[in-house]
Amino acid sequence: MSCGQNSLYIHICEIAMVDILSVVFQRFGSQLHASGDIKLSSQPESSTLVVGDENINRSLLFLTALTAASEMGYKVLFFTQNQIQSLPVTVQDSSLKPENLKKIRFVYPNTLEELLEDVASLHELVPETAPFPTLLIVDGVERYVCVQDRPQQDSQSTAAHIVALLHDTAAFLKARSEKRQQSPCRVIVSYHPEWERRGGDVFAPDSILLVLERYLQVRCNIHKVINSGEAQNEWLLYLSGPGLQVDGYGKGEKCLGLQWHVVMQPNGALEFRPESAPKEETSQVQHSDCGNET
Amino acid sequence: MASCLPAVAEQLLQDLQKTYSEKSQIPDELLIALRFIFGSCTLQALDLVDQRAVTCVSSPSGRVVFQVLGGSGRLYTCYTSCHYCPCPAFAFSVLRRNESLVCKHILAAYLCQAMGLCQQEQVSDQHMTLILSGRAALDP
Repeated sequence: MSCGQNSLYIHICEIAMVDILSVVFQRFGSQLHASGDIKLSSQPESSTLVVGDENINRSLLFLTALTAASEMGYKVLFFTQNQIQSLPVTVQDSSLKPENLKKIRFVYPNTLEELLEDVASLHELVPETAPFPTLLIVDGVERYVCVQDRPQQDSQSTAAHIVALLHDTAAFLKARSEKRQQSPCRVIVSYHPEWERRGGDVFAPDSILLVLERYLQVRCNIHKVINSGEAQNEWLLYLSGPGLQVDGYGKGEKCLGLQWHVVMQPNGALEFRPESAPKEETSQVQHSDCGNET
Repeated sequence: MASCLPAVAEQLLQDLQKTYSEKSQIPDELLIALRFIFGSCTLQALDLVDQRAVTCVSSPSGRVVFQVLGGSGRLYTCYTSCHYCPCPAFAFSVLRRNESLVCKHILAAYLCQAMGLCQQEQVSDQHMTLILSGRAALDP
């Protein structure tokens, strides 16, 4: 996995979801800005919550699914309400060819009830004919939770139901996989916060987000970067949460989270590079509720 | 579900399991400790234990879930690996106010498990899917 003397070197840990993101960052990372010896891992039971606008969320999830399926041998189940008509990101790498899409099973539940039934029925799979999934991805959980006229308390309970069922299903599949010496099952869920969808107060607490964080122990925040008042095709990505462990950042220093700069190239490809220094003064982060303002 | 509780609560349930297996009753000091850790829902959960309201439901696939018969006659489904209950108290006191660790249904499932007092039931895999997705929770 070494990319050269001055390049980013991420150890791939086999124990948790965040290791897949590590591979994504490394594969699509800019070696010009990379340095240090970084080890990303998370607690075995931790799942990941991706928080950002729906387009960048979907691009990151898609890249993660494709990388996990084609390079790490994961059996990926990708739940999304909107059918994928085209590749969200241009994948130019030879090992991530579109035919690798066949390794991902896309499921399109239209309603909350369909999503719950699709997840709940996974124990019915017969491993001899259909291998158990080892990565469960739910794109845009807000579309199932934040339905018009649903009271706030019901929305919180609904969000808890979805992620608790995902967690319980992953635990069951993990136990079954261990018997068959397969990879354990991981979960990743994306959420587009209410304040970002409605353009409201960025500091208002998002009741759904609070519930999701209770169950998903690693959080991947993605915030659009604004330069001179104009939104760029750039984002700050920050990994945090009680389930995340980051060692060896810089010269042996340890930190609780890890920040990355994500740039969408003119051809649509995403490039990741680690942010080791404070962000430039000319840039502003559009939204931040993760205590990461610079 | 043990991985979801603080260490002190897990230890308390282990003490309960050991003591109850030896004496077939819960000493006062353990009751006080339960009340201290789990709060006001403890007595209600113990009532559910007395009523043998907790059923451990399993299916041929190996999937397991708890169903707790509430005082109103409604069945509440609680998962085995993490905390969730569709009851209003869980939504309000646990999720919204963050005042309680669990609701009385989840605590009853913990207590019954520790005391070996769960009812056992086998269902088909298809029925298990309905239970897990919440569609069979209303059918006691």
